[in-house]
Amino acid sequence: MSTLQFLMDGFGVAFQWQNILFAFVGVLIGTAVGVLPGIGPMSGVALLIPVTATLTAGLPPEAAAASSIILLAGVYYGAMYGGSTTSILLNTPGESSSVVTTLDGYQMARQGRAGAALSIAAIGSFVAGIISLIGLVLLAKPLSNVALQFGPAEYFSLMLLGLAAVSGLAGKSMTKALMMTVFGLIIGTIGIDAVSGIARFTYDLPILYSGLEFLTIAVGLFALGEVFKTVLERDHEAGAIAKVGRILPSRQDLKDSTTPILRGSFLGFFIGVLPGAGATLASFFSYITEKKFSKTPEKFGNGAIAGVAGPESANNAASGGALIPLLTLGIPGSGTTAILMGALIMYNIQPGPLLFNDHPEVAWGLIASMFVGNLMLLVLNMPLVKVFAKIIQTPKKYLLPIIIAISFFGVYAVQYTTFDLYLLLACGVLGYMLVRNDFPVAPLVLALVLGPMIENNMRRALTISNGDFSIFATKPISLVLLIVAAAWLLVPLLLKFKGRAIIVNEED
Amino acid sequence: MSKTFDRFAGIAFLLIGLLFVLESRKISKSSYGSEVGPDIFPIGLGILLILLSARLIYETFRYQMLQGETEKIQYGKFIVLFVSAGLYAALLEPLGYVITTFSFLLIAFQTMERGKWIQSLVIASLFSFGVYYLFAEFLGGSLPGFPVF
Repeated sequence: MSTLQFLMDGFGVAFQWQNILFAFVGVLIGTAVGVLPGIGPMSGVALLIPVTATLTAGLPPEAAAASSIILLAGVYYGAMYGGSTTSILLNTPGESSSVVTTLDGYQMARQGRAGAALSIAAIGSFVAGIISLIGLVLLAKPLSNVALQFGPAEYFSLMLLGLAAVSGLAGKSMTKALMMTVFGLIIGTIGIDAVSGIARFTYDLPILYSGLEFLTIAVGLFALGEVFKTVLERDHEAGAIAKVGRILPSRQDLKDSTTPILRGSFLGFFIGVLPGAGATLASFFSYITEKKFSKTPEKFGNGAIAGVAGPESANNAASGGALIPLLTLGIPGSGTTAILMGALIMYNIQPGPLLFNDHPEVAWGLIASMFVGNLMLLVLNMPLVKVFAKIIQTPKKYLLPIIIAISFFGVYAVQYTTFDLYLLLACGVLGYMLVRNDFPVAPLVLALVLGPMIENNMRRALTISNGDFSIFATKPISLVLLIVAAAWLLVPLLLKFKGRAIIVNEED
Repeated sequence: MSKTFDRFAGIAFLLIGLLFVLESRKISKSSYGSEVGPDIFPIGLGILLILLSARLIYETFRYQMLQGETEKIQYGKFIVLFVSAGLYAALLEPLGYVITTFSFLLIAFQTMERGKWIQSLVIASLFSFGVYYLFAEFLGGSLPGFPVF
């Protein structure tokens, strides 16, 4: 069957009434998550996994997986749309990938052009979403065919590369990022060993036999960590919200932002495909590029529409691009895609090259639903932007306790143990303390998801080679991947050594 | 970012690494004939974690602390919230979802900000009853709803 045929089948899945509903709920919640400062896409997706798990409980397993991943991905890219709203209206980015949007977006709002900025952000996000989806459709098959040639040694090296990329770019201190990665890998070994069936580090506690649940740890570290942070630190209320004004952009605005949107989309897409470099980095790069290409660079920072159009397209395209390594190789490149991967694994669906053959309904259904979801977001964001702007005013008094309650409900409804609730609380405190001290938590979650797979592939490869570690260096693809992984960690170190400033990726 | 925390974290993670290395040695050898048993991976990781932690502790002696203005930390609210969340977890099974959720939300709302009792009561009851009925009755999920006497 051709790619087109698969895509059409995917639309067949995406247009089932419950999936349209799921996509709609996903993008709606995603927009809200993006608008609310304090909840990023990562905690939003983590919080909703348990909720979707219960919503889809009645469906057959594959359909349930398709529906919930449609909703969760909707939250992910929906948040990219919503994040711009607060950046423009409040000068407060709703999530880290919209930080640069504040530079020109807020200036535009002060000049009374908030409506134009918001609609250009929405249009740019839409165009970028579609472009990155087309890229995803075109690259999915060839890439997964390449990955099918991979043996355990190649897989091991590829996953190591994924971890290295995320650790190399996360946070200010690479030592800390690497520590978090190794810590994630180590706690991933708790439980029954999948290869030999021997219990490790369980101390005869039955609750530990299945290992520490990824979901509990992710929700605790991200969602609760963020809640605790807000309770402990941020007391100040948000400032005044700028008036939205006329929503439709003028013809001149459209003309000025066409090229930045296209450039941002392509740039963002390719940055998104790279593991470790996420939406935040994409938006920064796009802003710098637009400033460089602009005929009037002095306008940047004073309300240049290109400074909104480019980055907002780039972060959306990056979120689409980030799905490529996840779906085709089974390697998440960022914290949020790691969580999406955890969700797929919960449904016993292994992302990776076989996904497109074994579960075409899930893979192509998701891709097709993203076309639908992006269209919904465009419609939602243009006329309803004033409604979403109101969400910012949700008092923290109600918001924070309800987030705690949703986390509790979600974890308990999936795990049915009080132990996981205590673990959740502990991870919340841990998440707060770690993030406050520049220990990035995204590598931890990524390592926790990848850990068992890395170990299994390593041991399979070593079994093939009779315990000879040189198998990783003698297989050419594996060697290349290992070299790239090492370079990813060493190059920033060398640059730092030479006194160059390096851009780091904030959590996204 | 604080030097004390980094040092403390460095020591804590070093001990965790050490624990995993020592405990891994107790794991019985693999039975299926491979030379690569279930202990290699955790031992390797433990050693890595020890090395990285040592590096972090070493780094804390190197860098200069930039003491920025620290935000005022409100421990009071947090402790009340955390303790009530702990009680919520402990009492969820014996007392049931609806009662514990309702009380937790009410306490948390009032801890965050005093006043507006009626609004707090309405939101807390809507959430606790709403989630329970939607989940347990409508979706057929299983939650301990009310105390069983």
